[in-house]
Amino acid sequence: MKALLPWIETLRERAQAEGLTFPPVLFEEVGPEEMAMLAAYGGFPRRYPHWRWGSEYLRYRETYRYGLARIYELVVNTVPVQAYLLKGNTLLAQKLVIAHVYAHADFFHNNLAFKPIPKDMLSEMAHHAAYVERAMERHGARSVEEFLDLVLSLENLIDPHAPYIQRPQEEEVPKPQDRLRVRPYLDPYVNPPPEPPKEAEEGAKPQALPPRPTRDILGFLARYAPLAPWQKGILEIIREESLYFAPQAATKILNEGWATYWHTRLLLPLLTPKEAVDFAEMQAGLLAPHGLNPYRLGYLLLKEVEERWDKGRFGPEYEALPLGERLRYERPTGEGQKKLFQVRTVYTDLNFLEEFLTPEFALRHRLVSPEELPRFAEAKKALLFRLTNAGYPIVELVDANYQNRGELLLVHTYEGVELDLRKTKAVLENLHRLWGRPVHLKTVVNGKETLLSAG
Amino acid sequence: MTPGEAFLPIERDLQRFKEIVRGEVKKRAREFLTREELFGQVEGRLVSIPLPQLEIPKIVYGEPLGEGLGLGGPGDEALGPGGHIPVAELELEEFLDLVGEALRLPRLRPKGEGEVTEEAFRYTTLARKGPRGLRHVRRTLKESLKRALLSGEYRPEVPLLVPEPEDLRYKAPKKKPRPHAQAVVLFALDVSGSMREEELRLVKTLSFWITLWIKRHFPKLERRYLLHDAEAWEVSEEEFFKAREGGGTRLSSALLLAEEILKAYPEAFYNRYLYHFSDGENWQGDTPLALEALKRLLPSLALYGYAQVEGPYGRGQFFEELAEALGGQEGLALAEVRGREDLPRALRQLLGG
Repeated sequence: MKALLPWIETLRERAQAEGLTFPPVLFEEVGPEEMAMLAAYGGFPRRYPHWRWGSEYLRYRETYRYGLARIYELVVNTVPVQAYLLKGNTLLAQKLVIAHVYAHADFFHNNLAFKPIPKDMLSEMAHHAAYVERAMERHGARSVEEFLDLVLSLENLIDPHAPYIQRPQEEEVPKPQDRLRVRPYLDPYVNPPPEPPKEAEEGAKPQALPPRPTRDILGFLARYAPLAPWQKGILEIIREESLYFAPQAATKILNEGWATYWHTRLLLPLLTPKEAVDFAEMQAGLLAPHGLNPYRLGYLLLKEVEERWDKGRFGPEYEALPLGERLRYERPTGEGQKKLFQVRTVYTDLNFLEEFLTPEFALRHRLVSPEELPRFAEAKKALLFRLTNAGYPIVELVDANYQNRGELLLVHTYEGVELDLRKTKAVLENLHRLWGRPVHLKTVVNGKETLLSAG
Repeated sequence: MTPGEAFLPIERDLQRFKEIVRGEVKKRAREFLTREELFGQVEGRLVSIPLPQLEIPKIVYGEPLGEGLGLGGPGDEALGPGGHIPVAELELEEFLDLVGEALRLPRLRPKGEGEVTEEAFRYTTLARKGPRGLRHVRRTLKESLKRALLSGEYRPEVPLLVPEPEDLRYKAPKKKPRPHAQAVVLFALDVSGSMREEELRLVKTLSFWITLWIKRHFPKLERRYLLHDAEAWEVSEEEFFKAREGGGTRLSSALLLAEEILKAYPEAFYNRYLYHFSDGENWQGDTPLALEALKRLLPSLALYGYAQVEGPYGRGQFFEELAEALGGQEGLALAEVRGREDLPRALRQLLGG
C-alpha cells in the first residue's frame, strides 16, 4: 500500500486538473477472499444475513481460485467514496485501477441519475444488517429468512424513478420541527402519517387504491400489506437497497466507458516504455469484444462522441448528409471535451446508446458488416430494450381492491416478449403470501392476453 | 481461508448456504440414484449439482433479450438480470455421506487390520533448517541456553538469551507407516438371456453406487468383473455393461471363478465383496453346487450380495432357495429388483443394511 500512496496523490491531482470532480476517495487493499466477499455483498463490508450472499461468495471465490476471473477493483458510491484494490496486483495494474476509480467517483458525484441517491449507504447498509439481525433474534432466524426469501423475489418490483419524483404533497405533513429525523424505513412509525379522514364523512368518494397505477409495489406492500412491523421494516429495507443499486445498473456502460476513457488518458503520458506494453495488454483484455462488453462499448462510444464534437460532426447540416459523406465531414469546432462532460452528467445507458450508437459507428467498429446494415435498426432496438428497466419486465400495480374483493391486480406492460411463466407464477405465490388475498397478473401468454392468478 | 486472515462476516452466509444445500441434496437423494451423469467418472473429486430450487424466482422475461449483430449476443452476463442457477459443489465424500444418510445406507466396517500401504508424514522430529513457521521455540531457546552456559555468557540474574543461527531448531516431518484398510469388489453378472437393456441399467446403477459406497470406506478399492452363463469368464469393466445373450445358467460357475479370482486377495489383508446379479433361473441340479460353493466362500467374504433382477418374463427360484439355505447368515445380503423404484431399498439391502 505504501508504494501506492504517491500514485494515489499524483493521479488525484492529474484527474482534478483535467476537470474531474469528486469527494475524497478512500483506498484499501484487500486479499482475494475479502474481495470475493465484498463483490458478493455489492461492495459493502456488511449486509443483512442471507444465504444468497454465501452462494455468490462461493462463486466469486471459486472463479478466482480457478483463474477464470479476477476482480481488480470495487468502488462504492458513498461519501467519502470507498474503493478496494486487489492485493498482489502489479504496480501498473494498481495505477490503472486508481485512475479508473477516480473517474467512477467523478461519475457518481456528477451524473444526474445519482442525484437523489443517499450518500451514506455504508452506514445505511450496516443499519439494515443490524435491523434484520435483531428481527432474527426476536422472531427466529428461520422465519425471518423465509420472509426475506419472499421479499427478495419481489426486489425488482420497484419504481426506479420514485426517488426523482417530487409530487406536491397531498397530505398535510407535520411541520419539520414536529418531525423526528430518523432513517427512512423507520419514518412511518416514528412520524406516522396523519389519521385518514373518517369513512363516515358524507359524500366522501371512496378513494381508489392505489390512486394511480404504480410500479412501486414493494413500497405499496410496506404500507398496506397486513404484516407485522418488523416485516414492513424488511420490505422498506429491500426497497431502499434496490433503489440504491438501480442507477448503477442503468449507467453500467457509460460509467465503465467513462472510467476506461480516463484511466487511459491519465495514465498513458506517465508510462515507461516497458509499462506501455503491459498496459496495452491489460487494455486489450479489458476491451476484448466478447458479447456486450460494457467497457468496450462505453469507451468506444465516448471516444466517438469526443471525435465527432471535435470535428463538428453534429447539427442539422451534418445530419442531413448521406452515410458515406458523414465519415469525411469536418468542421473543426473542438467541442469534444465539453460534450464529453455533458454526456457524463445528463445521460444514462439507454439514451446514451439511443443517441450515439449510429450506423457509422457500428460499421467503423465492425459491430455490423455492411451486408447486415439494413438490420441495424432492429438490432439496436433489441439492445435498447434489453437496457430498459435493467432488462426486467415492467409491472404495475393497478388495483388493490380488484373486483371489490381486496385482491391485487398487476399488469405487465407487454412489449412483444413474454414472461418466464414458471418463475412468474412462483413470484405470484410469494406475493399472495404477503398480501393474504388472491393476486392476479395480466400479461400475454402464447400470444393471448391472460390473467395469471395465485391464491 | 488462509490462516491468519480474519474471519469474514460472510462465512456466516456461506455456512447457511451450505446447510441449505446439504438439506436439499438429502431431500433429492433418491433422484440422484438414477442420475450417474452428474458424477462423471468415479475418480472425480467434486460433484456439481445444479439446484434450481434454490433460485429466488423473479418476474423476468422468458427468453434471452438483445440478440443481434455484433451488439452483444445472449449468454453474456455483464448486463441485465443475470440469473445464475445456484450450483452446489460438494466433495464426493461429503455428497456420498449425505446420500448415504438420506437412504440410510449402512457404514461398512473393515474386517481385518489391513495391509501397511501408506506412509504418512508426521512432524515428530527436529531439523536445523526449516521454514520460519515451523520454528520450534522451546528447543531453539534450549539450544541457546546450552550454548550460553558452555561459553559462560549466561548470567542467572539477567537470563537473556539471544539465539544464534546455529541454535535454531525446526519441526521436521518423519515418515510413519499407517495401516490402511483395503478392499476388493467383484461383480458377477448372469447373462443367460433375460437381461435386457432396462435390467442392465439397473445392474449398472446398483454396481455404480455399490462401488462408490465401498470406495467411500476403503479408498484403496480394486474392482473385478465376471460374466457367466453356463460357464464363467472374467471381463473388463466396459465389457461388463454391454448387453448380450447367452445360453443356460449355472450360478455355481460364477462362484467357483470368483473363488479363484479372490485367491489373489488374501482375506487377511482385504475386505472382499462379491456381488452377483442374476434373474435367478438356475439349471436344475446346479443349485446344490452353487450353495455348497457359497457356504465355503461366505466366511471369507465381507459381504456376498445377491441381487435378483426380474424382468417381465417371470422370476427364478434361486432367491428363495438361497434365503432358505443360508438366510440370516452373517455376510449374506439379498435383494430383489424389479424397477427403478426398488433401487434405494435394494442398495441398502445389498450393502448389508
